[in-house]
Amino acid sequence: MTPRRGGALLACALLSIGLLVATAASSAKTTAVPSWCGPKKIKLGFTDGFGGNSWRLVTTASARAEAKKCPNVSSIDYADGQGNTQKAISDIQGMVAKGVNALVVFPDAGKAMLPALRSAYKAGVVTVPYRVTPGGKAGVDYNVFIDTPFAQAGENWGRWIRRVLPKGGNVLMLSGPKGNSQGVEENQGLHKILDPSGKYKFIGEQPFEVTNWDPALTQKVLSAAIAKYPKIDVIVSDFGPSLVGALPEFTKSGRKIPALATSDGNVLGCFWKKNVAKNPTFKLYTVSTQNDHARLAMDWAIALATGGKKPATTHFPSLVFEDSTTGKPNPVECKANLPGDIYLSAQLPAVAQAKLVR
Amino acid sequence: MATVLVATAALFAVSLVFASSSVTRGTLLTMLPFASALAIASLGQTLVVMQGGIDLSVAGGFSLYVVIVTKYPAGDNSRLWAAIGIAVLAAIAAGLLNGFLIGRMRLNPIVATLGTNALLFGAVLWYSAGIPTTTTARLARVGGGTWLGIPAPVYFAVATTAIVAAVVKLTPAGRRFEGVGANETAARTAGLPVRRHRSAAYVWAQLLYCLAAILHAGIVNQPTAYEGNNYLLPTVAAVVLGGTSLLGGRGNIVATAIAALFLSQLDQFVLALGVSYATRTLVQAAALAAGVALYTVNWRALTRRIARRRPSTVAPT
Repeated sequence: MTPRRGGALLACALLSIGLLVATAASSAKTTAVPSWCGPKKIKLGFTDGFGGNSWRLVTTASARAEAKKCPNVSSIDYADGQGNTQKAISDIQGMVAKGVNALVVFPDAGKAMLPALRSAYKAGVVTVPYRVTPGGKAGVDYNVFIDTPFAQAGENWGRWIRRVLPKGGNVLMLSGPKGNSQGVEENQGLHKILDPSGKYKFIGEQPFEVTNWDPALTQKVLSAAIAKYPKIDVIVSDFGPSLVGALPEFTKSGRKIPALATSDGNVLGCFWKKNVAKNPTFKLYTVSTQNDHARLAMDWAIALATGGKKPATTHFPSLVFEDSTTGKPNPVECKANLPGDIYLSAQLPAVAQAKLVR
Repeated sequence: MATVLVATAALFAVSLVFASSSVTRGTLLTMLPFASALAIASLGQTLVVMQGGIDLSVAGGFSLYVVIVTKYPAGDNSRLWAAIGIAVLAAIAAGLLNGFLIGRMRLNPIVATLGTNALLFGAVLWYSAGIPTTTTARLARVGGGTWLGIPAPVYFAVATTAIVAAVVKLTPAGRRFEGVGANETAARTAGLPVRRHRSAAYVWAQLLYCLAAILHAGIVNQPTAYEGNNYLLPTVAAVVLGGTSLLGGRGNIVATAIAALFLSQLDQFVLALGVSYATRTLVQAAALAAGVALYTVNWRALTRRIARRRPSTVAPT
């Protein structure tokens, strides 16, 4: 849901009215049934490895909203593994025992989840893991794995960096825990685009500075980097909102905030709006945080279980969301009256997200 | 206190020589607020350790207070004071629970505070569902702001350290508190209410964690729901480096605060060295081990033993 600025207010108002009408009328009145929704009636299960943050809440709500588009989904059961692999496994077994026909799984624990996925698949449940690879093979251990190529985000950032810094420059990349596959793949994508020109220098620990996606550590890491490197031209980070507390370190050191290629979040957009006037070098480019990845997984699971038309791809792409330099596909967005912890790149309307995280 | 003071001065000297970027104005402005919050939380831990206890519930308590002061106002400055009030009440409740379990029921402090910690984390998840909330603008101004060029949290840390040290070292109540920690039997014989002192330590500790958490929420704009986890080990480390015996007794209040500064600068120093994450962790662990060894190893006995052994270790080749 990303209304252009021109009619943003109007669109929002219309949308809220639309939502009210939609909820007032019964859900049976949904307009067109999507092609992936087949004729068979099914019960659907959805298990999460860890549900306790705003990104997960929005993602779960997005998945539910997607499933509700298909009237033949008679029930949706959700279970949160709460970061406990054992619980995540027994959640899957519980869903199978309850007799769900299709199961969408966010297998946070990776390969540890494979046996549970396999047993669900062998029990005849349409099993669709997504986002975190559980290993194994489609058609043997589960029906299909819906992935996202993290390298693509790195490539998107790389292309933007070449555009805003055509003369080259120093690139500082921040990611989560040491060696996390997301950060490693993003870094590879970044190198693929930037290396051929030979004009970009990667500074700091390689492949990325370790922040554990923890805002306090991010703050310390960034201030150390600022002191160490007199010239940082662009920061690349795969968790934009965690930088909001850290970017003022530049101001504290009497420097301007540099360009930033990252992922979106309402709090980040608002931070940009507040600081761009005093920091002309602060250009912002975001890719979507991909809450809608869960929607593609839902489409697949429902299509396979109800006998609907399969979606065209099993890959959820990295989508560019905001670019402060061109305003395309969107200018930087900020909904100051809504919580910072929502993601305007998600299809789920901002107001609905705000209700979730409040 | 001399030891930790010398160690800290030495660390700053080493920082200046080997990683001068860790002592620039910008990095100091980042490090000092974190050091301040750690110092205040460590003072709480010191009070508990002085009573021969240990408080593992600092992680849960700290996280809970961060969540309360960010989620309750949810960006509305006018609700900040109320949020702080609620956090203080929660701190008193958590402290009383610890105090009751350890002072009255005589449970082992490790077991009791571990249990309380789980309860407090339960409260964190119940209240926030693990969802972080952005800090209120007014609190962010205090945590991230500077007064007269010095980060605001530093004033809080200095004032708190001064007050705690003055109360413990100069007032009759403080002397009784320390006496109870030093020798329970003697204190009981002298007619001091041992259990009440023991319980009170946990309440004061939680109140200090609460203050540290409020500052921390201001320093970090987007705190997670689990911020306290980063304070569990460092608070104990600061107490030990400060020279307070884990067996209880005399507390080195000011030394604890300086040790917190030492640990925070150590963090920043290894970051500035630009070594890999693995090396960073190793350097921190080694420095901590060296610091603890300064107090716990009986150096005189050790040198005597080595001196005695020396003749026999010279092997004929």
